[in-house]
Amino acid sequence: MEVLQVVADLVCTRRVEGMQAVSLRVLQSEQGVVSVASDPVGVPEGKWVFVTTGSAARFAMPDPLTITDLAICGIVDHWECAGNAQPAAPDAAAPDAGARAGARAAP
Amino acid sequence: MKIMCVEKTLVSTNRIEAFGHRPLLVLQERAGGARSVAVDAIGCVPGDWVICVGSSAAREAAGGRDFPSDLTIVGIIDRWTPEGSA
Repeated sequence: MEVLQVVADLVCTRRVEGMQAVSLRVLQSEQGVVSVASDPVGVPEGKWVFVTTGSAARFAMPDPLTITDLAICGIVDHWECAGNAQPAAPDAAAPDAGARAGARAAP
Repeated sequence: MKIMCVEKTLVSTNRIEAFGHRPLLVLQERAGGARSVAVDAIGCVPGDWVICVGSSAAREAAGGRDFPSDLTIVGIIDRWTPEGSA
């Protein structure tokens, strides 16, 4: 299992029937690698989550017949990036996620 | 799942029987990036940004538990810019 950060929602209208209507999230690793996961939890942008890969991902979904190879299993309460890695990607989604995190931390 | 861009169709006339007549596409992770081949379970055209699954989900999405695919296209992304914002 890995820890990845949610950077955006993914809208995918045309999909295989086996994928049903599961929510999809764009995730990014600390190294900046982008991937897509099915989300049975309902995770907001900016959160760090832990994910399971391969055929095990299907058992993380409410229906194990769901077509997926990467599923979010839970939100990590506290996570700090290892080393000097950027906390989020230098892309358009990152400043937004950062702003939200800041807004949550303020109160 | 990986986000990839459809480059072109792959023609392979002499193939193992298990693959049937499933269409194969050449995909790129980004323009000029690494290329791989996927089974198309949807009906994509070159230029589409798609999501692909591996593992047992790839076999099942491509046709059944015994289908020999390790990369299958399962969805076309509505809007995607390669920089990373949806």
